[in-house]
Amino acid sequence: METTTYVLLTLIAMFGHSEDFLGTTLLSRPLVLGPLVGLVLGDLQQGVVIGATLELIFMGNIKVGAAIPPDVITGGVLGTAFAIISGKGAAVALALAVPISILAEMIISGLFIFRPVLNKKFARYADDGDYKKVERLHILSGLLKPLLMGAVTLLALLLGSDAIRTFVETIPPWVHAGLGVAGNMLPALGFALLMNLMFNKTVAPYFFLGFILTSYLKLPMIAIGGLGVIIALIVTGMMHKEAPAVSDSDFDDFDDFDDEETAVLTPPAISVLTKKDIRSLFIRSMALEANFNFETWQNTGFAFSIIPVLKKLYKTRESMSKALKRHLQFFNTAPHGSTLIIGISAAMEEQNSREPDFDPESINSVKLGLMGPLAGVFDSFFWGTVKVIAAGVGTSLALNGNLLGPVLFLLIFNIPHLWLRYKLAFIGYEAGTRFLQELSKSNVMDKLKSGSSILGLTVVGAMPALLMSIKTPLKIGSSDAAVPVQGILDQIVPNILPLALTFLVYYFVRKNIKTTYLLIGLLLLGFVGSVLGLFN
Amino acid sequence: MIKLLRIDDRLVHGQVALTWTPALGADCLVVANDRVAKDDFLKMTMNLAKPASAKLLIKSLTDAVTFITDERAKNLKIFILVDCIQDAAKLADELPELQSINFGGIRAKEGSRPISKAVSVNDADIASIRELLLKGINLEIRQVPTDKILLVEDTL
Repeated sequence: METTTYVLLTLIAMFGHSEDFLGTTLLSRPLVLGPLVGLVLGDLQQGVVIGATLELIFMGNIKVGAAIPPDVITGGVLGTAFAIISGKGAAVALALAVPISILAEMIISGLFIFRPVLNKKFARYADDGDYKKVERLHILSGLLKPLLMGAVTLLALLLGSDAIRTFVETIPPWVHAGLGVAGNMLPALGFALLMNLMFNKTVAPYFFLGFILTSYLKLPMIAIGGLGVIIALIVTGMMHKEAPAVSDSDFDDFDDFDDEETAVLTPPAISVLTKKDIRSLFIRSMALEANFNFETWQNTGFAFSIIPVLKKLYKTRESMSKALKRHLQFFNTAPHGSTLIIGISAAMEEQNSREPDFDPESINSVKLGLMGPLAGVFDSFFWGTVKVIAAGVGTSLALNGNLLGPVLFLLIFNIPHLWLRYKLAFIGYEAGTRFLQELSKSNVMDKLKSGSSILGLTVVGAMPALLMSIKTPLKIGSSDAAVPVQGILDQIVPNILPLALTFLVYYFVRKNIKTTYLLIGLLLLGFVGSVLGLFN
Repeated sequence: MIKLLRIDDRLVHGQVALTWTPALGADCLVVANDRVAKDDFLKMTMNLAKPASAKLLIKSLTDAVTFITDERAKNLKIFILVDCIQDAAKLADELPELQSINFGGIRAKEGSRPISKAVSVNDADIASIRELLLKGINLEIRQVPTDKILLVEDTL
């Protein structure tokens, strides 16, 4: 590899690590970075296939709240690169990506532990009412992650390349075969982790529906997703609209809501804030997690997002200082729906700037009250359903080397994500908390929740059949009359082996067996199974 | 029966709705908190976040104890959420069946120090922790069920 290649690979890793500026849009997933690595190394198709394989293995890894999963960016880029260079395919990528991503996660956790040191600086800038410095430090601290992890990637490439290449070249064929089988089994862990989020008695049939649709009827993932949507709509009766949409006339119904929060949240009569200001809340919310840290979480991201509004409302140093301090308090929510809270806060700030007897403390109590529950709503919806469908469709195409895989993956996730994120900024600003009251009075949320779990589980059910390939070369009988076991299995239940393995792993996940042990267990099963000739 | 008591200052949120409730197979979430029990706004937002597979009850500490110790609650799989160690200690006094407490998230406050990524404690908290440990209650830190279990006593 030449130096240019090293630099380009480092840039890909840095791009992946910039996702905290790019609004959790899944640009950093292996399915997206894999093809980029392939492009740099002159084998786009391999990049797509390896990216899809890694995506499947890391499928259950999602960032919920502050629980940090293994760093698939560094692990994925390095693993894919060495796999393509050595020409040994996805098995090598997996052997490298898993340990590297676990090590790299420790470095990132270190950064999140270090970042609170900057909080004193933020506090001082807030004291001075100097929003420009707050913005600048937020961005600078955000740049630390791509810079640090870029350096780690470059170092690994410069120092480790020869060693890794020698290591990869000395892998004997039987180990390689074992790794291949193990790689086919590992997605079972991801599927089991997803099942653990969604599987319960009420929705269990939909899992098997997904399985049967792919296994017997050979439907592609896009069809499963489409059918899943239709079934979810029918079952939840979502199309029979009982609850009226939010409109001005409905707000009379809230007169009997006598709690204070509602009372203070009348929409601004004369608005100083323009559409452009609200739009900038949405755009800036993309950098919500840039300075994510283990003490105050997304606090500076929130301040960074709302600063355009504060700038317009507070012209004195003192009032700006108070507002900045307010928004530098602890904050943590699901980034996808964050604009709702930011929009509501903007409306309350506007009211605060206009009404002298407004209690600014109520802004924080609304913020803190909403961040947890809304994280529950949006984490479940985006991680539990939208990401699952996007990854299902994306990987099923990409495993065959189809570049549409990563493209559809990004589109399926981000069209609803960005549309909703944009809308919520306006809804939050214009309707405030009354939007939530309307929502809680209607049963839309319940329908949405049960509908999305039906849809999600149908798609997960299709995954073992469509995305895993475990076959047995065993034969019953001897010599010419031998009957292949796989043939018999295929006649009864096609893809029974992937399904059985997924359930086996799910059983252990339910028993609280640690993910690392399950990972090692699957690797061993793949190896031993391959060596003994049980699976291929 | 009680499946878990969790201390989490965000009460119902992503980790609770998306990972813990299904992992525990809980069918009844009890938020035991005097402040939230009186706040209609917070109650409403928490109801939006509740997972589809479980009921959500928001009660004061006293009412929560009455509910959980009721004979009829024996058949429920209850997942209790409190927002501070002191509330957890109060419940532990009233609920002898409680063997273990999960520390999910306690944000940094004046005079506190971090004992794990998401948990910070001050002197008053440590005093409560010592009392709980003396009672023989197992105190563990985990944000999500698949995290490695960290014992609180090993972090002090």
